[in-house]
Amino acid sequence: MPTFDPEKVSEIHQHLHSHLPSESALRVKALETVLVEKGLVNSQTIDAWVEAYSEEVGPKRGALIVAKAWCEPAFKAALLEDAVSAIDHLGYLGKATAHLKVVENTPLVHNLVVCTLCSCYPFSILGMAPNWYKTAAYRSRAVRDPRGVLTEFGVKIDNDIEIRVWDSTAELRYLVLPERPAGTGGLSEEALAALVSRNSMIGTDRVLEIKN
Amino acid sequence: MDGMHDLGGKQGFGPIDVNETDVPFHADWEGRMWAIAQCGGGRDGWTIDWWRHCRELIDPVDYLARPYFDSWMQAYTAAYIDSDTFTLEEIIKAKSDQTPVEPPEAIDTQQVLKDIQSQATRFDRPLAQTPQFEVGDCVNTKQLTTSHHTRLPAYTRGKPGIIHAYHGAHIFADACAKGSDRPEHIYSVAFNASDLWQESQNRKDRVFLDLWESYLEPA
Repeated sequence: MPTFDPEKVSEIHQHLHSHLPSESALRVKALETVLVEKGLVNSQTIDAWVEAYSEEVGPKRGALIVAKAWCEPAFKAALLEDAVSAIDHLGYLGKATAHLKVVENTPLVHNLVVCTLCSCYPFSILGMAPNWYKTAAYRSRAVRDPRGVLTEFGVKIDNDIEIRVWDSTAELRYLVLPERPAGTGGLSEEALAALVSRNSMIGTDRVLEIKN
Repeated sequence: MDGMHDLGGKQGFGPIDVNETDVPFHADWEGRMWAIAQCGGGRDGWTIDWWRHCRELIDPVDYLARPYFDSWMQAYTAAYIDSDTFTLEEIIKAKSDQTPVEPPEAIDTQQVLKDIQSQATRFDRPLAQTPQFEVGDCVNTKQLTTSHHTRLPAYTRGKPGIIHAYHGAHIFADACAKGSDRPEHIYSVAFNASDLWQESQNRKDRVFLDLWESYLEPA
């Protein structure tokens, strides 16, 4: 059982700082080895988890949710009203999405998601977070200079557009519903999903491009 | 705690690497660390916010300088040592002091996909007490400081905001980090960017945070 004693954990961190090897791969190998020898984890199960997040669980799920919302007004209404039930029907409810909210971009609103305190992210629908999402640069600046951050991503936001930054400070998670690009009336849900970038669902992309 | 993790609004970190390779994991060890976090046992009594606090307690120089999933390794390792799951000496030697125990039966990717669905952990709890605020109410965040875990970031302390949405009662993070599942009412609070940052150029821009009731007082 944990002690919930921060002073004790600070002391442990000091020891780890002094005695563990510097190389990250060796550190993680040490942890895996000890947990395996203690009978707490199976290395083949670790392989399976890596494969699941490399191949199956990723932003394709989020893109399908977005495309479906573009095509089906009733689904979009349900998604904005109760995102948890809506994604549960698609089989995508899971890690870190039990309190999911969907925020909609409009011609006058742009949404941007960050976690300034750690790196909270809706894993079951977007997979692994990109590195930049977890960096000090993004976490520090997204709430203070969102327009500057977006410019670095190549996204220009006019001054008459309101930026709404969502700092994920509790267990709610946010998915941005980007605007459907013009001229996509005849496309299938699948073809539309292919236009939805991972970044557009975090808010660091806005105008989606039609690919040929 | 006023730790290095509380990064909102800190300056000097420079540009963002927007051109990183778009892959789930940038090295094998990153994937293995993520996977260990998802499936490792030996965590009786741990809570999400206790784990977050263990990560916040990493030396600030290490917190900023070492790779992201490396900090997960250190947070998990510290929390395991704290729980007596293994010892400092064992992790330094990378070897258990006891005769190895048979690991749990392996699961395949299909089972993992089912397990991910079962990780939809809910944090809402019933609470008889009436919520203190309603949507549209003007509030101020308190000037709270603590050496413990909290989810009220420094950049929103003592600031005016408006209740944007009410989400029921959720397990209170500050208590959760001490092992308690005590709930509190929780709200999305909207802040004008110009109330947070003097240099904010666009008066329309807003920042939204999900904040528990005890962080707030009536304006």
